[in-house]
Amino acid sequence: MENDYDIYNVANHVFKLIDEGANELIRAEIFYEKNNYINIDIEENSVKNSEIGEDHGLGLRVIDKKGALGFAFSNKIEKKTIEEICKTALKMMNVSTPDPDFYDLPNSYQKYPNVNGLFDKNLKEMQLEDSLGYINTLIEVCEQDELAISQSGGFLSNYSKTYIFNSNGLEITGKETSCSISSHIIVKDKVSNETSFGYEWQSERNLNHLNAFKIANTALEEAKRNLNRKKISNMRCPIILTPKGTLQLILRPIASAINGETFQYKRSFLVDKRNQVIGSEYLNIDDKGIVDGAVGSAIFDGEGVPCKNKKVFESGEFLETGLLHNSYTAGKEGVESTGNASRSSYSSIPSISTTNFIMQNGEMSIEEIREDVKEGILFDYTGDSPNISTGDFSGLILHGNLIVNGEIKDPLNETMVGINLLDLFKNIDAVSREFKIYGSLQAPYVRVKDVQIIGAVS
Amino acid sequence: MDIVDDLKEIDDKLIKELNSIAKDKTEFWDIRTGVSRGTTLDFTDSKSKEISSHYITECGIRAFNNGGWGFCVLKDLNKKSIIKGFQKAVKLARLSESLCKNKFKIAPRDPLIQEFKTSSKRNLEEVDIEEKINLVKYHEKIASDYSSKIKNTHTLYIDGHVNNLLVNSFNSYVFQDLSFLRLFSKVYTQENGSIQRSANTIGGLGGFEITKTEKAENLSTKSAKEAVDLLRAKSPIGGKLTVITDPKLTGTLIHEAFGHGVEADLVLNNDSLLKGKIGKQVASEKVNIIDNPTMGQGKKFNMPYELFGCYFVDDEGIPSQKTTIIEKGILKNYLHNLETSSRMGTLSNGHGRASSSSSRPQVRMGFTFLEPGDWNNEEIIEDTKNGILCEDFQYGYTDPSTGNFQFKCKFSYKIENGEKKELMRDVSLSGMILEVLNKISAIGKQTSYSDGICGKGGQSVRVCDGGPHIRIEDITVGGLN
Repeated sequence: MENDYDIYNVANHVFKLIDEGANELIRAEIFYEKNNYINIDIEENSVKNSEIGEDHGLGLRVIDKKGALGFAFSNKIEKKTIEEICKTALKMMNVSTPDPDFYDLPNSYQKYPNVNGLFDKNLKEMQLEDSLGYINTLIEVCEQDELAISQSGGFLSNYSKTYIFNSNGLEITGKETSCSISSHIIVKDKVSNETSFGYEWQSERNLNHLNAFKIANTALEEAKRNLNRKKISNMRCPIILTPKGTLQLILRPIASAINGETFQYKRSFLVDKRNQVIGSEYLNIDDKGIVDGAVGSAIFDGEGVPCKNKKVFESGEFLETGLLHNSYTAGKEGVESTGNASRSSYSSIPSISTTNFIMQNGEMSIEEIREDVKEGILFDYTGDSPNISTGDFSGLILHGNLIVNGEIKDPLNETMVGINLLDLFKNIDAVSREFKIYGSLQAPYVRVKDVQIIGAVS
Repeated sequence: MDIVDDLKEIDDKLIKELNSIAKDKTEFWDIRTGVSRGTTLDFTDSKSKEISSHYITECGIRAFNNGGWGFCVLKDLNKKSIIKGFQKAVKLARLSESLCKNKFKIAPRDPLIQEFKTSSKRNLEEVDIEEKINLVKYHEKIASDYSSKIKNTHTLYIDGHVNNLLVNSFNSYVFQDLSFLRLFSKVYTQENGSIQRSANTIGGLGGFEITKTEKAENLSTKSAKEAVDLLRAKSPIGGKLTVITDPKLTGTLIHEAFGHGVEADLVLNNDSLLKGKIGKQVASEKVNIIDNPTMGQGKKFNMPYELFGCYFVDDEGIPSQKTTIIEKGILKNYLHNLETSSRMGTLSNGHGRASSSSSRPQVRMGFTFLEPGDWNNEEIIEDTKNGILCEDFQYGYTDPSTGNFQFKCKFSYKIENGEKKELMRDVSLSGMILEVLNKISAIGKQTSYSDGICGKGGQSVRVCDGGPHIRIEDITVGGLN
């Protein structure tokens, strides 16, 4: 939906009002975004709801020379509201505390990287009806299976256009598309009547890359693999993290721990670990902002800073370059922003997040990794997450199986894992060549030796 | 009551026009519009990270036909875009209808024509921003001065004033003027390389007076004390143990591990272990569980405001009401919205809730509560030979289809021969909820409640839960050792 105002005129007007309203020279930044989305929901393995929607709005950040920050946002872009936003942002700034750690907003950049495949014209112009092929495939997979009793999930696509302007002369605009499908399937054993679920999802920049058949079948297999769960006794054994397990116990915790802000507040278990080898040689992680067509890629970040690729861990060493910054945390540390400022919408001030966060795959196949395990655990996922300030993790395995002589056996009931992540990183002794991409995260299978398992059989 | 300008677009003329578009094309429709203003004050280590203010308008239009829903979300509140959006929603409902397998009708309800307003002793918009900031600074200072072991402090203040209007094809017209406030405090401590944290929150519907209650004034002291105490806490031992839960943890258990299973949308989706269990014994006969999100309960707990999880009407215009979920161990009712109640041949009990006008109402809990028993708290402890007293929680999660849950407790004390002993941290409890509800061996007299935000399907709504201390036999406890 096009709006009947010109955002460049609005931006000029805002800068003028801020100039007039402030007693001294201040920094100002306008973040404007608009988007359209399409969503179809599956419930009870049938279409339930078809939805379209739009949003647009403007967030205004103003910062005085002592670093005091004010922020205001609205989705009502008209003269009176714009004037009110400017006045409110300045008022907020005037009551805010000074911050000597504030360095500056980003300057304008001469050059931005060339990243292809972030925008798919088909997605921008698509109608809800165009997504029905994917929806029908999801439904069919569940319908044709004997044990499957229900599915929820759906299709979502989004088109967004972003404009960033700041008082240092930065002015940049970009557009992107994304789409995703998800499947959560419930199965029921015919003899025991026990139920179980499995889930899978896929996000892409390009509509043609979605594979609904594969997604629903993966969810289905996973659900079946978790039927007829058994309680086990305590044991110390190797565990193999599936790609989903790797997301939960390696990639997401590291992504939080290397966030410049978490780090500067010393709330990260990786503080004081920079330039040290803390993991095994198999721990290799990159944050890649400018991979063509990838969901986590962008030309510029939430403050208009060019995105780039960087290494975080190499052969177990937490690298000097391994911290993620926006302009504020970078300024505080006296380095350049790494292009990791993130904004979930115009309603939020910039935070920090990863771009495409990738654990590099290894050379062994998953079968070879499993073969060596006499008795161990396959870890799919938990509802838990590690404590980022201590690295401690103790959580219930929601989905996992016993491995006996290299074979995947009974699924687990009421079984917990307890480990500190630093021990987990050291104990990685194999990484698979197979990997999966979940949105902006890429993960292989990872084997970790000597892990404490707490079972419910005493 | 004064209706804000942006909502005046929804007038008789527009409703008449919508009805004529809907005629013969759609069986049920509703439009929810909202205008919200609010303030966010986010401080870390006594410095402001975010001081912000907003003005947001939004509109969600729903149309329904024989099992299929269409939903259209807009941000511009003017007649022209609302009519256009309405036409789209009607078309989308037709499309959903052509694809959906579960055919049903929405059971008609009498129109509700009413206005509701939360009362405030001190209107949020009349409190100067500086006073709000001073409040946050005060909490930051109290926390950081508490001990030299305090490493970081974080205080978040959020207030909001929302005007909502709901109109639907039952000819309902419900206008609400709601204000709410939430204060959150989190403290990190450090000693000998160990980092600990504790967070507490209070919230309610009303005005700035919410911040002046004893509970609110002690918020940051509580977080600081807890985070300091946790430094000396030991790691727990794993195994099967008798566990006593405090009202906060009881509430979490009832909401998180059990309550989601009584949401009728999960039941219909075969995603609840309580499917087919109405009228059956699912818990020990001492157990009574209700969900009662009606207004006016603050005074029961000595709070001069409305509780955070309570509401006048749900987001489908159904008045909030008390629902018995378990009576003497027998499952009595599920929680419903218009759709699930229509399909299951009953009336909605007012649990169709949405996080904002831009989202579709789902079946959600309100104020979920385990009714008290007849034990004194001291008696429960004295009567326990070996076990753990677990207080408050850090987080919890459940698989509603099996009832397998886990909770991470904040504080846990060893109990030996009826005496409360040393403090432990990061105790995990896990089990199957229906087994656990049958293993309750004592229920306390004194009750309390806590408030929070609950997430489901990407939406967050305000909730409360609570109850008394309870004792559960033979529960799996896990820790790092």
